[in-house]
Amino acid sequence: MKRLIPFLILYGAVAWAQDVVAPTTGESVAPARGQDAGEYNVVQSWELGYRFATVGGDDGKYRSDVNFHDGIRLLSSYLTVNSRDGHGHLFDEIVLSTQGLGNDPYESATLRIQKNRLYSYNLMWRSNDYFNPGLTVANGEHLMDTNYRWQDHEVTLFPQSWFRARVGYSRTVQDGPALTTEQEFDSRGDVFPLFRDLNEQYNEYRVGFDVTRKGLRFSLLRRWEYFKEDTTDNLTATLEGATVPFGGGTGDASTLTGFQRAQPYRGNTGAWLGNLYAEHQWIAVNARMTYSGGQGNFIQNESAIGLDRFGASQNRQVIVEGDGNRPVTTGDLNITLFPESRLSVINNTSISNTRMNGDNFYEQFDNATLSAQTLHFQFLGVRMIANATDLRYRVSKMLDLFAGFRYSDRSVRSIEDGTTPGQPFQGLAAEQSNHVDAGVAGFNWILWKDLRIHAEGEVGRNSTPFAPISLANYHAIRTRVQYRKKAYSLGAGYQENYNNNSIVITAYSSRSRTYNAEASWNAKSWLALDLSYSKLHLDTIGGIAFFAGAPRSVLTSGTSIYISNIHAANLGIRIPVTKRADVYLGYNITKDTGDGRGTLAAQPTATDQIFYNVQTFPLIYETPLARVSVRITPKLRYNIGYQYYGYHEDFGVLSVTQNYRAHTGYTSLLWSF
Amino acid sequence: MLKWIGVLLLPLLLAGQTAPAQTGSNNYVGSETCKTCHVDVWLNFYKNAHYKSIASGTETAAHTGCEGCHGPGGNHVAAGGGKATIRAFSNFTPPQTLTACLECHSKDMNRANIRRSVHTNADVVCTNCHSIHKAATPRYLLAKQQNELCYSCHASERAQFEMPSKHRVNEGVVQCTDCHNPHGTFEARSGGTSMSTRSASNSAMLQPAMDNEEPCLKCHVDKRGPFVFEHASVRVEGCEACHLPHGSTNAKLLRRPVVFTLCLECHNGAGTFGRENLGVFVQSSSHNMLDPKYQRCTLCHVRIHGSNSDPTFLR
Repeated sequence: MKRLIPFLILYGAVAWAQDVVAPTTGESVAPARGQDAGEYNVVQSWELGYRFATVGGDDGKYRSDVNFHDGIRLLSSYLTVNSRDGHGHLFDEIVLSTQGLGNDPYESATLRIQKNRLYSYNLMWRSNDYFNPGLTVANGEHLMDTNYRWQDHEVTLFPQSWFRARVGYSRTVQDGPALTTEQEFDSRGDVFPLFRDLNEQYNEYRVGFDVTRKGLRFSLLRRWEYFKEDTTDNLTATLEGATVPFGGGTGDASTLTGFQRAQPYRGNTGAWLGNLYAEHQWIAVNARMTYSGGQGNFIQNESAIGLDRFGASQNRQVIVEGDGNRPVTTGDLNITLFPESRLSVINNTSISNTRMNGDNFYEQFDNATLSAQTLHFQFLGVRMIANATDLRYRVSKMLDLFAGFRYSDRSVRSIEDGTTPGQPFQGLAAEQSNHVDAGVAGFNWILWKDLRIHAEGEVGRNSTPFAPISLANYHAIRTRVQYRKKAYSLGAGYQENYNNNSIVITAYSSRSRTYNAEASWNAKSWLALDLSYSKLHLDTIGGIAFFAGAPRSVLTSGTSIYISNIHAANLGIRIPVTKRADVYLGYNITKDTGDGRGTLAAQPTATDQIFYNVQTFPLIYETPLARVSVRITPKLRYNIGYQYYGYHEDFGVLSVTQNYRAHTGYTSLLWSF
Repeated sequence: MLKWIGVLLLPLLLAGQTAPAQTGSNNYVGSETCKTCHVDVWLNFYKNAHYKSIASGTETAAHTGCEGCHGPGGNHVAAGGGKATIRAFSNFTPPQTLTACLECHSKDMNRANIRRSVHTNADVVCTNCHSIHKAATPRYLLAKQQNELCYSCHASERAQFEMPSKHRVNEGVVQCTDCHNPHGTFEARSGGTSMSTRSASNSAMLQPAMDNEEPCLKCHVDKRGPFVFEHASVRVEGCEACHLPHGSTNAKLLRRPVVFTLCLECHNGAGTFGRENLGVFVQSSSHNMLDPKYQRCTLCHVRIHGSNSDPTFLR
């Protein structure tokens, strides 16, 4: 028992740089050993509280970044029930944890129920209020307030047996109001904001089994996935108080007096996964094969009535129907050899073949005069084989070395076509292949007890990058030093990723360097400290071509530059001020100093100004927080906390500045009963 | 052909080979003996997942309770304790720890690639993340809550998740293991077509969705398709061609604070890029960049991830 006491004290003093003030973490009211109830032992804690928030500035941006608001919440709960002899009647273990229930924007629950040797059931449920800024056409309006909900259920029968059967179900739902845009009646006219209710569902059913006999394991999984979307778009008269008809921008007579679109989509994928695994003293083999045959069927019916940008009446109907297919086959074979205890040799070969094809029948009617009909077809296929060989040699207990060589060969084929019915396809077909070679090497070195150094590097060459930003001539370096004792640890790291890709206009170059250092200290019984600092540097330059100019736009070449220097620091400190009360103080700051500019200077031309404005994006985002937790009884704590969110952009891009400041907090009771 | 069949059947050839049994005078004494001294560990051990080996009553001594991991305790008892007389994980080298745990845990498909994972290469093995006797989480026996555990080494990732726009890891609704498998994945092509091709190696240990696709599609199912008109870069280069999934200055987690620079860096017509090897086509001449409307590409190209109706993703 004496050995247990220091641990419990230490546990109570553990601090970490917490990012969100609530729920209360690091405090416990449940007795560490729980309470016995019959043949079971129960540990539980429940935190019920009230959250509040006051926001100034851009409320939409706050909701997009943070989104905490007023209300009563079950901030967190935790329950475990364990049978004391491992032979419970219906179950041997229940583990339930929840967070944010009661309308927090981030809610989750996990549940495990299992009975030894007989079954295991796992549940995961999450909900996220997904409030992203609306498209910039809305002039800062933030109407997107959709909700993502995920759930996953998995039942395993005979989990400790040589034969395990598994059944699972997953579901993802996205619904709620959202904002999108539509351009009628030609590509140069006004863009119309559309308000819509999302309705997307994804359901997955799976069944499989594992057989383990005499060192060999075989797994087979069959999966059925169904996706459907029934989102409808309708012209709304509510956006920014505007009234129908929409439109009539300066110099543009485009007007929508009526718009309706239905775009139902049904997709399904049948998938197989097979896996073979075996391991012996000197060899392990892992082989896997997957196949998924994705299919999608769709129809779109859209009607638009109004004026085009020249003021002519338009009455247009578009009907599109067709299907898309994507069969994907993959295979992997991984062989690991341990010829002797110091050496391991690992080889992995992977193949994949993806084919995407489909057709759509596109019909566009001018309801007043005539109809036109076109047919589009497209194919995109990607095949790849990759192989990686790694060697690892342990020179001594203090040092080991590793090195490897990887290559991949990829073929990308595509066919694009568009024709009117009855006419032959033009068949614009293309094929390219590329080859990547890369070498890696590194070491782990224990300089002396508790001080470790890890370093590794990779150099690669890609014969035919797919896009200018793709990896071409690249290298990466990663190092880390760590000194760890029971009461404290120190660490530092450096990473570097460079990529150069020569293109006609100019060389594309991307260079990122990351530095970080962290320290944590769990001092005996009265102080715990955790802090970290990171600097993330990124500079890229790429050749671009675009049309710009007045009165007539002309093709222009230039360079796109982006420079970011992000400094991020975290501090967390826990101080038990009395026997009953703990104080937690935290501070998180993220500051992008960009390229050092604080204001936007005037540039010689309007075009130069556009690109100069977006070369860097200095900002500060800071979230200091403080919390007091008071033990009222051994099973009850009172908590109160405050967190400030401050977001400041030095200058807005695209003429929109989204600064905000928010005062948030909570008060709660954390108890066990 | 026969050679390939031989390789495929190699696992079958290995069947029937098992780890050697303990030999010598060091005997198994049973967990009841261990609790005499290690009472603090034993008192809560029935809540530990490893207690199943005791409760089952069918496992061999070498796979039961304390000695299932720490080896036979006969010499340890005879010597009155001491780390030198038993398999003490604190004395193990990382490969020894890995080997000890994999004696039982290699059976799980999710851990089948652990020996070749980036973590193993960095000497980060089981006990660096899992605490068998002092776990902070009853599930998976993690030494800390998951995000804090990962942040303890990946400080730069912590900085990314503290950007104004990010996936909600710190808020608890998303976890690192939703996208990553810390036990390693099939490298080079762990996610079907796209993830493999960014680099011959894939140090991010991404956990593919639906077994062979980008992990992003686990949640963003509406981006999955298949679409008649695929945005090729999405399928070939992956979501990360345009997005920074951890955190960004852009609300859509784009790599740039505004969208048009991102698009123009590829759509510049240069070189031998793109599906036709003619460069990724330049935007239309009607797009005058001095007009703010054309600086907001996805204002019109709303179906940028793929469309069934329009090759240019307008609807």
